[in-house]
Amino acid sequence: MLTACSSADDDDTSPDSSADGTEGSSGEVVELTFQSWVPNIDQAVDAFNAAHDDVNVTLETVTAGPDGGYATMQSAVQAGNPADVAQVGYDAIPDFLINDALEDITDYVGDSADVFADWQWQTGVFGDRVYAVPQASGPLGQFYRKDIFDELGLAYPETWDDYYEAAKAIRESDSDRYIAAFAFNQAPWMIGLAEQAGASWFSIEGEAWNVDIDSAETAKMADFWQRLIDEDLVKIVADFSNEWNADIQNGDIVTWISGSWADAILRGTAPDTAGSWAVGAMPQWDAGESVSATWGGGSASVVLKGSENPEEAAEFALWLNSDPESVSILTSVGAGWPAIADTSQIESLQEDPEVFDFYGGQDIWDVFAESDANVDTSWTWPPLSSTLFSSLTDNVKAAVDAGEPIADAYAQTETDMVDALEQRGISVNE
Amino acid sequence: MRQQSRTRAARWIFITPFMVMFGLFFAAPIVYAIVQSIFAEKGSALGFGPPETVFVWFDNYSRAMSDEAFRESLVRLVQFAAILVPLMVVTSLTLALLLDSGRALWPRFFRVLYFAPYGIPGVVATLLWGFLYIPATSPVLEMLSTIGIEIEPLSSGGVLFAIANIALWVFAGYNMIILLSALDAVPAELYEAARMDGASAWGLIWHIKLPLVRSSIILVTVFTIIGTLQLFVEPLVLLPLTTAIDSNFTPNLAAYNQAFALGNPNLAAAMAVIVALLGMVFSFGFLRAVNRKGNRAW
Repeated sequence: MLTACSSADDDDTSPDSSADGTEGSSGEVVELTFQSWVPNIDQAVDAFNAAHDDVNVTLETVTAGPDGGYATMQSAVQAGNPADVAQVGYDAIPDFLINDALEDITDYVGDSADVFADWQWQTGVFGDRVYAVPQASGPLGQFYRKDIFDELGLAYPETWDDYYEAAKAIRESDSDRYIAAFAFNQAPWMIGLAEQAGASWFSIEGEAWNVDIDSAETAKMADFWQRLIDEDLVKIVADFSNEWNADIQNGDIVTWISGSWADAILRGTAPDTAGSWAVGAMPQWDAGESVSATWGGGSASVVLKGSENPEEAAEFALWLNSDPESVSILTSVGAGWPAIADTSQIESLQEDPEVFDFYGGQDIWDVFAESDANVDTSWTWPPLSSTLFSSLTDNVKAAVDAGEPIADAYAQTETDMVDALEQRGISVNE
Repeated sequence: MRQQSRTRAARWIFITPFMVMFGLFFAAPIVYAIVQSIFAEKGSALGFGPPETVFVWFDNYSRAMSDEAFRESLVRLVQFAAILVPLMVVTSLTLALLLDSGRALWPRFFRVLYFAPYGIPGVVATLLWGFLYIPATSPVLEMLSTIGIEIEPLSSGGVLFAIANIALWVFAGYNMIILLSALDAVPAELYEAARMDGASAWGLIWHIKLPLVRSSIILVTVFTIIGTLQLFVEPLVLLPLTTAIDSNFTPNLAAYNQAFALGNPNLAAAMAVIVALLGMVFSFGFLRAVNRKGNRAW
């Protein structure tokens, strides 16, 4: 018994040392820590622990990634004391990779590619090596106050032209009421809108990056929102702020284009408006199309560099994001649209009275299933995405504040991004 | 002889804990920041390999200073200091003189009342004022609006004043206590003598009180200058509420952003060193300026 324990400890790095069977039978329990910001994800962790005798996972709740969680994770990697598994957005995976903060988990989970939607799986694959297990994406849809639309006799805006007309009607109906917030604080939202307009900001050509933020597609989208801002048809307010919360509760902001996980936020923010919301697909640039996009891609589980038990960590990441029971929990707590390819066995997607009742009985998952299928999967996240987010929100803020065209903000963001990449020694095609 | 060496040993015993703490928590971080500031992380090609740490001399400093947003943040800081420092000194001095005048009603009560905001953490104070600054949540703005006054504290024109107001609210009482204790220390005979010479209330303030608390006024001024340079919490908390504040609003915020959002601790270290140098230049510069004119003059 004693020898079995110590040999298992010593052999950590050899490839076959920690196969499930040997450790389970020796009675040794592998302790893992998992860092995430998803509310109530502890339910899925508990389910894992209940189903496994040989591995025990402890959840550490961290601040949402861009708000400090990523800094915590990367500092711990540098200090040599990281958590084993961490929640990382698809957009941030290249960032972690250039900082050498991720374990290569190809040997542990490489066979499971088929379990997941291909484009989501690919967000964790770089040069044939796997660095992340996808959890969920954030396909965009439009949450809207169906009761107010009905009251004003407005049809659901199928196109952006309809959206503009609806915005005018809504603005006229009440001096405090707007169709939407122009969320200057949300880079993923602005990026999602550009992505849906057909923009592709980053691509790899040869051994260097192409940066094309200031493109015709981006301009088309920016000009559209410029018109809404100029005509006072959207309210310039940060989403998730106190003012925005109040506006959502009061019905002063009546639509919200957001990721599938936003349903949990709406239910939490405005419980009194239950029954009056519904969800539709994003408005289209050309009638009859069904182009969609995501809110910052989605989220994955990674094994941080320096984890003492990378194999068990990778197995936990795989189980968390593919076991039907776990995925069902993740979906109902608002983690997003599951990354697994076959969602037919996910209980909470079939029937979830609490969710469906809030949306007047609508099965909102139909909308997001379709949206997810329509995402342009060629979108690529660059290294230094945090610089991209920060630069974009700063520039858009500055433009809005100064009353200058927001299109300029995108041009400035391109300049900033190219500078930042080159400063970091990363090649950019001019 | 033995006596002397024993005193020397005792001296070291008493001074060592301080030296250790000073070294660990003051000197070491500064040295570490300076070392960090002359290195950079460099990737290559697409960036997907592990980065390399490269010695870059003063590259981070020139990068910080050539960054327009960082330069603007320095200018903004000077503007902010120009608003806050005089306001702070005048306000805390006025409060102290009022409470010290002997005519104040319930001086002890008001002393505590003015000091109370200092006990509230900066984040909480800013959140509180944040509510009062937003039209949707502010009863004050709503009231003003009903009588025809429309103000937007968080617009780009007003935001520096809005932040100065928070700093004033939190720290004026604290500075007032410093000035008040200096006023308390003025011997009562001086007032008596002055009154017998026919000094008015104003004369008392101008010729006796102010000159005697001069060193405390200088202290309050230096504290406020240093506090101004460290401006961080208020803009960070207000940042999501307004388009007028971005992530480079103050130099400290810019350094924080580089370190924790943009993952460039080296550039952040260079920015921090620049802010520290500025702090030294401004506070020592001010002390020199007031001392050069001789002890009693203003």
